[in-house]
Amino acid sequence: MIFPGVLALRERSDSAIRITASSRVIAQRLAVPFLVVASLMLIVLGKADLILIERARIATADALAPVLGMLTAPAAAISEGMRHVEGLFTLYDENQRLRADNARLMQWQNVARRLAAENAELRALTGYRPRGANFSISAQVIANSGGAFAHNVLVDAGARDGVARGQAGLTGEGLIGRVAEVGGRTARILLLNDLNSRIPVVVGDARQRAVLAGDNSAQPLLLFLPPHAPVKTGDRIVTGGAEGVFPPDLPVGVVASIDGDTVRVAPDAALSRLDYVRIVDLGLSAFLPQGVVPAPSSRAPAKAPVGALAP
Amino acid sequence: MRFALQRDVALIYSWLPLATGVVAVFLSLAPLHVPGPVVATPAFALMAVYYWTLHRPDLFPASGAFALGLLLDLLDGTPYLGLSSLVFLAVRAALLPVGSRIAGQSFPIVWAFFLVAAALALAFEWLMLGLLTLAPVGPRPVIFQALVTVALFPLAFYLLARLQRAVLVRP
Repeated sequence: MIFPGVLALRERSDSAIRITASSRVIAQRLAVPFLVVASLMLIVLGKADLILIERARIATADALAPVLGMLTAPAAAISEGMRHVEGLFTLYDENQRLRADNARLMQWQNVARRLAAENAELRALTGYRPRGANFSISAQVIANSGGAFAHNVLVDAGARDGVARGQAGLTGEGLIGRVAEVGGRTARILLLNDLNSRIPVVVGDARQRAVLAGDNSAQPLLLFLPPHAPVKTGDRIVTGGAEGVFPPDLPVGVVASIDGDTVRVAPDAALSRLDYVRIVDLGLSAFLPQGVVPAPSSRAPAKAPVGALAP
Repeated sequence: MRFALQRDVALIYSWLPLATGVVAVFLSLAPLHVPGPVVATPAFALMAVYYWTLHRPDLFPASGAFALGLLLDLLDGTPYLGLSSLVFLAVRAALLPVGSRIAGQSFPIVWAFFLVAAALALAFEWLMLGLLTLAPVGPRPVIFQALVTVALFPLAFYLLARLQRAVLVRP
């Protein structure tokens, strides 16, 4: 009575083994095409700009921040070493240049002191109230994106330190970009020269409004300049601050070249040597509507950010 | 008892190729300040994919290459999640049939093949990026990255070979 049952059981287990063996072979053969299709699907989803992918990016960065942080010490040591070697070649010239810079800066320091005193007097006279508290956080760069295709840096300050999307990232020299994604303890700053970076700026003494657009090269472009705008090489470019989040008058760069309609800007900040970044905000970022600041999004915004072209 | 321990250790060691891939991804993100105007870190992960596909493809499966590409894209901040996975899978698929033959050659030949593989992989990535953003993307950063990658390959090859000999080859 038990015998046929046992036989049936053995037959079933044999065929089960055969099925699992052949399915494993099928799985191995299908693995590569399946993974290729999965990759393509992810790329398409990325183009569709799903919030899910952004969340995955933020979560991964937050999770791996400690590991990335560990690498900064040896990386800093290596880059110091390289800078040392590079410096040895240019020691004398560097020295001369620094002396000249120093002399010039001392003069500027006096001018600045005088202007600050004058400013304080005038403010007192007119009862001027400044726009809002500037708020700044210092953060260290823990990862530099691969370089050839994406230009952004990951810093070790996040929402818990008060970082929010749209805030400006600066070094001592000038603007480096905008905060595009914020995690719990990390944030991603989209650099000026990234393909998706669009920053409203003003040009020259005339304070001509334009948009600084990155194109993956070392010198971003100025877009949306009116056809006969009085722009010439050497004009200083600063932030416009029109939409009320970016502090105005932060140094951005100078006009480097004008080739017909193409105006290129040399940024003040050394985008390839970022160590510490200051994130600055006017304190109004809570009111920033979704969509004004591009995330490292696949779609370059079709129109300029709000306020950039207000007359 | 001892038998089981040896098997467990072998299992841990079998993760070495993928582990080197992960380390390579982190290295390519580290904020090294390469002197010069253009920031282009070498594609270390590509080196790892090339090396292990040549020498131990059994320990570096397609799913591993896919996951590595995913990790790189997630940490890079690129909006095109999946592009690196595609490139790694393509490199692996192209190299698998001829891998063992190339692996047996002298180092300059291995290096030359890497030059071709890296050039094609990065060119493909550049083309895809142009297509996906529908905007012209300057080739200079990619060319620079390709040069730096190929230049640093011998060092990566040496390190990975030492690791392989120390950990994966049983006397």
